[in-house]
Formats: sequence, C-alpha cells, structure tokens
Amino acid sequence: MAEAISFFLNAAFALALAALAASAAAYLLKRKAPQKAVPFLLAACWLALSAGLGLLWSQLGRPPLSNQYESLLTMLWFLFPLSFYFYRRFPVPEALWPAAFTSPVIFGVAGLLDRTARPLMPALRSDWLILHVLAAMAAYAAFVLAAVAAAAALAKKRAPEDEDLLLRLTKAGFAFLTLGIVSGSVWANTAWGAWWSWDPKETWSLLTWLAYAAALHLRKKGWRGGKFAILLIACFALVLFTYFGVNFLLSGMHSYG
Amino acid sequence: MTVLKIFSSLHLFFALCLALAAVFLYQTIFNTGPSVYGSVWFAALGALLAANIAACSARRLRTASAASLLIHSGIVLVILGSFASRALRFEGELPLRVGSESGRVYSGNAIYQLPFSIKLEDFRLEYYGEPAGKITVRDQDGGSGFPVREGTVIPLPARKAEIKVLKLARDFGLAGKNEVIDKSPYWHNPAAQVEVTLDGKKKILWLFANLPAMHRGELPFSVSYGLENAHIKNFTSAVLVRPSGGAAFSAEISVNKPLKTGGYSVYQSSYDPAEAGYSLLTVARDRGLWVVYAGFAALLAGTFLWLKR
Repeated sequence: MAEAISFFLNAAFALALAALAASAAAYLLKRKAPQKAVPFLLAACWLALSAGLGLLWSQLGRPPLSNQYESLLTMLWFLFPLSFYFYRRFPVPEALWPAAFTSPVIFGVAGLLDRTARPLMPALRSDWLILHVLAAMAAYAAFVLAAVAAAAALAKKRAPEDEDLLLRLTKAGFAFLTLGIVSGSVWANTAWGAWWSWDPKETWSLLTWLAYAAALHLRKKGWRGGKFAILLIACFALVLFTYFGVNFLLSGMHSYG
Repeated sequence: MTVLKIFSSLHLFFALCLALAAVFLYQTIFNTGPSVYGSVWFAALGALLAANIAACSARRLRTASAASLLIHSGIVLVILGSFASRALRFEGELPLRVGSESGRVYSGNAIYQLPFSIKLEDFRLEYYGEPAGKITVRDQDGGSGFPVREGTVIPLPARKAEIKVLKLARDFGLAGKNEVIDKSPYWHNPAAQVEVTLDGKKKILWLFANLPAMHRGELPFSVSYGLENAHIKNFTSAVLVRPSGGAAFSAEISVNKPLKTGGYSVYQSSYDPAEAGYSLLTVARDRGLWVVYAGFAALLAGTFLWLKR
C-alpha cells in the first residue's frame, strides 16, 4: 500500500513538473503546441493525486487531514478543480498557469514535511474535522492561485480577464475561509465549550479574513489592477503565516499539525 | 446624520482593521501577562467595529444586496453575541474521583451549586492499540532499540554485557514493603525492572519511561525504557446525574461528546496521569451563544449568496 501511495504521489509530482515545463515552453517559445498539453497534464496530475490521497485515506482509516503534510496535499487537491472551473469560464492559457506553477512548488514543500502519520488525538476525533479542514484548505488553494495570478498579472500586460479571475478567486477563498472559521468555532464549542479562545491560529485566521475583507472593500473604492494584485500578494503573506508560521513559531490548540 | 456619516465611513473600517492587526501582532509577540483580548479597550474596539459595519449597512440599506446585508448583519451579530456571551456565560470546573459525587463547580475563586449533581462511576482511557515496551541501549558508538516483554534477554556481545527484563509495570507504584504494583491499568508511569550483567557482575535496576536520565553514569552505556504506540484514543467519564427533584440517569461524557443537561453542557476536559480515577469536567452555560450562532448562520448564508452572484 505504502509503495502504491508513493508511486501515485511521485507520478503526480512528475506530471505537475511536466505541466510547468509545457507552460514555460509555451510562454518562452511563444508556441501554442506545448500549451495544448497543459490541461491534460494537470488533469492527469489531479487524477494521480486523487488516487494517492484515496489510498492514503484507506491506509490511515481516516481522511488525510490531520498533519501539515496531509493537509498540504489536500490543499493541493483543491487547486485543480478551482483552476479548471476558472479555465472553463476564461478559456485562455493564462488561467492554468497559476496551477502549473504552484502545484510542483507545493509538491516540493510537502516532500520536506514530516510524513509520520500519528493516530488522531482525542480532541480531533470528530466529524467537524472534515468540514473544518476541507474548508480551510479550499480557501488556501484559492488564495494561493489568486496570489500567483496576481504576480503574473503584475509581470505582464494586464487583461480584463485577469481582473475578473483575481476577484472570483478571492471571493471563493473568502467564502471558504468564512466556512472554515465558523466550522472551527462551532467545533471548538462542541469539544471544549468555548466558541472562541484567541488561540494563535484563530487570531491569525481572523486577521487573514479581515485583510481579505479590507482588500475586497479597497477594490470597491477603486484599488483595481496592479493595486489589487499587490494587495492579494500581501494578504497571501498572512495566509502563509497562519498556515505555517503559527504552527512552527507559536504554540496553541493547532500545534499538532 | 453626521454621526451616521462618521460611523459609516470605509476609512474607519480600514483604520479598525489596522488597529486590530496591531493588537494581534502585539499579543503574538509579547504573549505575557493578562491577554489584551479581555481588556475594556479591546472590547471598545470591537464595539466600534460593530457600530461601523452596522452604520455602513444602514446607510446602504436601500441599494445593498440581500447577500451584503446578510453578511454585514451576521458580523454585527457575532460581535454583539461575543459581548452577550461574555456577560451571560458561566464556566466552572468540576473535579471528580471515581465514587465521589458533587454538584459544586469552581469558577475562579467562587464556588457555584449546580441544579444537579454528578457522580463519577468510572473513568476510562482508551488506547489505539496495546502500547509496547522498548529498551534502548546507547553509547558513543550509537544506539539500538529492543522490543521487550517480561523474561526477554538482550545480549550485548560488543559491550560484553547482557540485559534481562525481570518485570514490567504499566503504572508503577509501591504497596507496602517494596512490593511493586500497577496503580492503574493505564500506561501512566511505565517502568521495567532489569538485571544487567556486566563483566560477570549483576546489577538490578528499575528503568522509568518518565525519568530516562535516572541511571545515567551508572553503566558504561545508557539504558532507557520507553513505550511505542502509546497513543490515547479517547477518555470517558461514566457518570450518574442526579437532578434536584428529578430522576437520576446514567450518561457518558467524552472528548467531543459533552453531556447536555438542565441548560448546562458538561465537557470532558482532562484527567490526571498521576491518579487514574480522577476526571476533570468543565460545566458551561452560554446564554449568549444563540446570538453568535444566528450571526454565523447569517454570515454563511450571505457569503454563499454573494459567491453565486
């Protein structure tokens, strides 16, 4: 089983790298042929990742959501459906570049993390875990795509599609983050009888949520184009701190993963 | 009107976001002393944010979408709910030992009498699997681990030594004249009695998993005892609840499965590894919670309506 999981995850990593190479070739050589392969490579990567995660789920006897390695792979899993959803809306090659760029990076980071699967501690043995972690990871996936798309939009000439793509990704991320925070709060109340305890993860996810809310309001006030793109990159720094920084630097109720 | 104008400014919202960011950063870096989140001025900041969001929505009442109104009223409700929760929330600790019964909870320095009493009939710890003992022998050349049971003999030819496991204890305790007993069936104080043979001399030692450095320096190599797979799955209090003026009933309280009775929720908080029959329950009643949950419902409904647009 462990070998099959490694095989599928390594295959997914290789396909993600191939998608990145094809995108880079299309951009640098200004050819359309390699770009045509990108959707297929990303789809194959998602299927391999799904198979790997499915087998990991079956091996663990629980959804793979309880340490940073497992949650990062789950976050990566959301990257593909989100990208394909927006690719269908805006069928331009650029819509898939953020996924092609981000997925090999996330595979690389996941490879550096501790894979030791420990049994769930008593507080985590709840059905709320699934909703809470899935919502948070879907939000982070949307935010990472938004940040990469924002960086790409800053680097090249702007297109109206970019503006709409950035807004829609941010809205999707914000909605999922809201669900993640609310489900976590309701879960905390079920487990401990306190719906908010100012745990570092709670505090920093609230700040991340406020930052995206402020960015969306600033956009309404006219901060569009490059300004909105910069805001999204700044907000993503908060996502990174909430997801990695809080776990590695601070201790609290989320210290396990 | 002017007041509404001041409060309904988006600039005020941005300023409040920056102020909150500064507070969160301060509390994260200087995480000492009483938390700023309990202070009056932090509550004032929250109240100002609620007033700001409410005023913004009130000003755009006619033009705003249902989604926007739901989101903003949801946030205001959550903030108001947090004040209600702070004012109307009760939380206390109910420590119990197996066989004891109490309806008195401790909240800070005060003691409250609940409208029911709880008798702890049994306290159980559940492991994912049977933990296994392991002895690790280590010196400057490296170390190696050996799974052990009572009677296991570990030959150490390179060190001209041998370790024989005489006795294993899950929760080491002494009864009377050096008689070793297990204080509980749980792996709270795992220990191994070993006979170390070195250059023909025998030495009997107790190795404790919780005190790995106890015999450091007594032997030319270090020997320690530890557990593998000692992962706790759940802990549960089996209780008998006696409401004043009602019929008693049995219930089980475990992590993530609180008991709701008489308007209170009873949570399984903790236990004491040093005393197997001790269970710490938390009793809470939050009469402001429904405001928070109503806010959450409005916020979520609004967010997903907004997403559909």
